[in-house]
Amino acid sequence: MRSRSIALVGLAVVAIIASACSSAATPVPGLKIGLVTDVGTLNDKNFNQYSWEGAQAGASAIGAQAPQSAVSSVSADIAKNIQSFVDQKYDVIVTVGFAAGSDTIKAAKANKGIKFIGVDQSPCLDASGVEDPTFGCKGDAAALLPNLVGIQWKEQQPGYLAGIVAASISKSGHIAAIGGTAAVPAVPNYMLGYASGAKSVKSSIKVELQYISPAPDKAAFADPAGGTAFAKQLLAKFTDVDVLFQVAGLTGNGVLQAACDAKIYGIGVDVDQFLSTPDTAKCTVVSAEKKLSKNVSDQIQKVKAGTFKAGTAKLDIGSNDVGLSPFHDSASLITPATQKLIDDAVAAMKAGTLKACDENAFGGCNIPK
Amino acid sequence: MLTGLFDIPVLGLILQLLDFLLNVVTVNGPVILSLATPLALGAMCGVISERSGVVNIGIEGMMLASAFSAWLVASVAAQAFPAEPGFFFGVTPALLIGLAAALATGVAFSLVHAWLSISIRADQIISGTIINIVAFGVTAYLDLLLSRTSQPSGGKFVAFAPPQALLDLPVIGWLFRMVLAQGPITMAAIVIAVVFQVLLFRSRWGLRTRAVGEHPKAAETVGIDVIRLRYRNVLAGGLLAGLAGAWFTIDFGTTFQTGMTNGRGFIALAAMIFGRWHPIGAFGAALLFAASGALGTAIRTTPPPGQLGEILISIPEQVFSALPYLVTIAVLAGVVGRSVAPAADGQPYEREATH
Repeated sequence: MRSRSIALVGLAVVAIIASACSSAATPVPGLKIGLVTDVGTLNDKNFNQYSWEGAQAGASAIGAQAPQSAVSSVSADIAKNIQSFVDQKYDVIVTVGFAAGSDTIKAAKANKGIKFIGVDQSPCLDASGVEDPTFGCKGDAAALLPNLVGIQWKEQQPGYLAGIVAASISKSGHIAAIGGTAAVPAVPNYMLGYASGAKSVKSSIKVELQYISPAPDKAAFADPAGGTAFAKQLLAKFTDVDVLFQVAGLTGNGVLQAACDAKIYGIGVDVDQFLSTPDTAKCTVVSAEKKLSKNVSDQIQKVKAGTFKAGTAKLDIGSNDVGLSPFHDSASLITPATQKLIDDAVAAMKAGTLKACDENAFGGCNIPK
Repeated sequence: MLTGLFDIPVLGLILQLLDFLLNVVTVNGPVILSLATPLALGAMCGVISERSGVVNIGIEGMMLASAFSAWLVASVAAQAFPAEPGFFFGVTPALLIGLAAALATGVAFSLVHAWLSISIRADQIISGTIINIVAFGVTAYLDLLLSRTSQPSGGKFVAFAPPQALLDLPVIGWLFRMVLAQGPITMAAIVIAVVFQVLLFRSRWGLRTRAVGEHPKAAETVGIDVIRLRYRNVLAGGLLAGLAGAWFTIDFGTTFQTGMTNGRGFIALAAMIFGRWHPIGAFGAALLFAASGALGTAIRTTPPPGQLGEILISIPEQVFSALPYLVTIAVLAGVVGRSVAPAADGQPYEREATH
């Protein structure tokens, strides 16, 4: 009886230590920066990971302590993780992902002394300073919550450029994009930009836009095997699709795997996936990037420098905060004519004469019914 | 030929539905069987250990840990023994070493489970739960450490390419594609299911296993070593879980991601119950679960035309993903035939004093 309890207790201790190691937030003295991830893992070779690298770069640039991270396994963890940093009196809290937006607004309202940086967020408040679910956004977020900045990118712009590449290298005239969920605006932004970019090259091109899950859950962003299966199923139905754009985080890494298996072209997202996921590098032609790491780091440095500006930091191709990654081994696929199309589109978007999609008042894309 | 019948009210709709279902299964056969593989192997891991009276809910953790070690070891071995992919399944020494590592990991974790639940007679549910937590935590931590060095993996097995003539056969061509256009682990799973079914119900080992799972005392009185048999079965289950883990990182995919089994070890338990603790039944249940997932995807991505499409689209897609589990509940509740666990399942066995 006794040895049984000892054995179980011993294993339980190992279990607790093991699970704590992956998400520990131990208090450290000095200027403290904490990062709360979106649902998924810290090392997703994608969104969370590059935001985290940005936080680390920012911390080291201002000579702060190494930042701490708290991983959210489910969306309910996000609020808890933010609160745990608040309780430990952190000075800067970075929250990653659109899904963390509401919790970040609430925490920023309750803790005016702490600076909040919301990645992929745009605080939308009503006149009384409460989050506005109807997206009226009557309140001046910068004035009402002077301690919160949301970072938002025009994903449709790199999506558009990826669409130009896809349409140019497709032989069949049939391409596809697979997104995690339409419920996170960044995903349809990329995909609708991709579609209009492709159509700008060849108006007759067929573009499949498909979403894996109705909600920002594990299936959408944290299940690579599910992503591979989804893509294989799509390719079994549309056998002539020869370019596949992934907009689904970790799940999407499985989508690129399916592209490699089918020996067709893949296009990566958010970061340069030729480098971040070397296993699928051989079929990754290019990636539609937003400069996550640099932009998060910049915001942290602004806190230190006293140039922190609340509200929404809207980043686009004008400041080179979004764009295409290098082509690496696929450079030979890109003809001078294609390169010219890309350069012209970049110039037109910078000049404001080209909209990458049917843009709404908030800088995102209107989703067609 | 049949399309004329589709215009008949109600009956036409049902015919359209059947036509659509058949189309989904025939077009997506290979994907469905691939996705069923980890579920089937996990479920058979459950069957082999529960048939001898040991509950194993640590399958998820065993699969995850094995997936990690297959990936890590294959990746390291690929550096040490670089080789061109072989003719069959693109096999390389690195992949075989990775596979062996996955099997060893499965066995190591199941040894812990066997020791706790058979020798120490600890609560088997707690032991399984702890294995799940340990496996998740340790692999997540190690993955975090390793992710700083972004080194390529050891690659993966390549699916077999069956002769085109077979695939072009009318009516049954899709079946050949489904079964033959697969990696080695999926093919092995099919063979294992058949062999295991025969052994369980037609061999001395099978009879003893079932006896120990139903009435260990009676089995002991006729000279069966209950403890030893349970150990052997739980360890064999570890092999199956290890194989399921290897599927994730060296057969279907090439990289490890934290928590990538994503609950499939628990779905495997549902498949085991739905399959009434039969190897073939468990395999069938796994296929059904995978097929209903594929159906949900097909309805969203490529709905059938006309009225049927409108009806199917109007059903929330969550209904399709929940369908297998609703059926499992119905089976458990005895609505659609009964599924009864082995009588001594989960009860530690204690030998009576012999002197």
